Amino acid sequence: MAPLASAELSEKERPPRVNLQRYRWVRGAVVAWMTAVLAGAFLLKIPRINILEHTARNLYFHVPMWFAMMAAFVVAGYHAAGFLRSGRRARDVRAFEAARVGTLFGGVGIVTGMVWARFTWYQSSGLWWNFDPKQTMAAAQLLIFGAYFVLRSALAGQPEKRGRISAVYLLFAVAVMPFLLYVLPRQMQSLHPGAEGNPAFSEITHPIMRVVFYPSVIGFIGLFWVLYTQRVRAAALEIRQGMMRRA
Amino acid sequence: MNWLAGAWAVFKKDLRLELRSRYALSTLLLFVLAVTLVVLFGIGDAPLTGEVETTLLWVVVLFAAALGLGRAFVYEEEQGTVLLLRLHTRPSMVYAGKLLFNTLLVGALTLVTAGAFWLMLGLEVGAPGLLLAVLALGALGLAGATTLLGALLARAGTGGGALLTVLLFPLLTPLLVSVVSASQKALAGVAFAAAREELLTLVGFAGVTITASVLLFDYVWEE
Repeated sequence: MAPLASAELSEKERPPRVNLQRYRWVRGAVVAWMTAVLAGAFLLKIPRINILEHTARNLYFHVPMWFAMMAAFVVAGYHAAGFLRSGRRARDVRAFEAARVGTLFGGVGIVTGMVWARFTWYQSSGLWWNFDPKQTMAAAQLLIFGAYFVLRSALAGQPEKRGRISAVYLLFAVAVMPFLLYVLPRQMQSLHPGAEGNPAFSEITHPIMRVVFYPSVIGFIGLFWVLYTQRVRAAALEIRQGMMRRA
Repeated sequence: MNWLAGAWAVFKKDLRLELRSRYALSTLLLFVLAVTLVVLFGIGDAPLTGEVETTLLWVVVLFAAALGLGRAFVYEEEQGTVLLLRLHTRPSMVYAGKLLFNTLLVGALTLVTAGAFWLMLGLEVGAPGLLLAVLALGALGLAGATTLLGALLARAGTGGGALLTVLLFPLLTPLLVSVVSASQKALAGVAFAAAREELLTLVGFAGVTITASVLLFDYVWEE
């Protein structure tokens, strides 16, 4: 792309810039890392437990989705706060893209959880959804993201106002989120580990599962980072293109 | 102007305007009564568990609040009094005044709805003190979140309507869950100590939403 007049733009208007070299380096590292994680997840031997059987491997995919979604939410909140302080468009773009990618991970988290629960917890009942507190709260969390996108589309065409108002909503949601994901699910009866003060992992969890699980969490957060950076780059190009067309 | 006096003045202005027309109050009370009547008539003689009763109660209150509380700021925009307020007061004073007014409004709403339910369903309230505490805390948390979002939408120029409901409800899930479970315990007549977790969550929720609102309100209010 031609070095458009972006140097003439004010600091506030400038689209986000991504360090391409670092992006490529992280992408390569994530690809290699995730390949190893996937191989470990499917090939390593795990103890066979009745009913759970091989579905236990879903631990490596279902749970890291929530870590990745939380990371996305934190990044989105960080950039929303940055936008309120500086008013720079680049920060608003970053907050929005992080929320978008976070929604993707949240959606996959819900689906992997539904499938897992269908064939273990509700094995004989054939239920897809049973209002487990964590499940419900995660769905509410996704609705918050949805509301954020609706709010943004209601303010299309007023970028400054849209950025400010949606940033306030996002930060407000950040304040409420701990209740959704941590306080309430732990007070209520739930089949999820971590309910009623249980530890999330117990001493009966096989050590080999930890060996794959923790790298998987890191890998999916890395994957979030790659997708997010990619989206930010695409958004920046779109903004530049729009400017060129206008010029 | 000192802070308390400013907040109090905003509250008094809203209260006086409301008492002059009684628009918000009468609309909301009629809404609540109509919905309660329709819902309970639809249910008929079917026996309800405490869970269903309390959930219905709070869903009615939640919808009434989502419909009515957005008005506080939309009104200022419509009348063109925003600039005047912005000139004479600091943002936090406006927020505090409006929060007080909205809390009062939701409080009245909850009391009337609970009263209607009590009358029509013949509820037996085991622990009236606990129920009152739960209603008050629920109203406070509800008003805390709704006041900020109402201001947000009024600034966005899309005040009230379905959008407020969409923005509000997922954020209020924790409040709804705790308040329903605490009201259920109050109906069953347990001691305060047995509902400690719910009460603490409600206090925490109100505290968190109001603190976040105070911090964020400046950005909504100032141009």
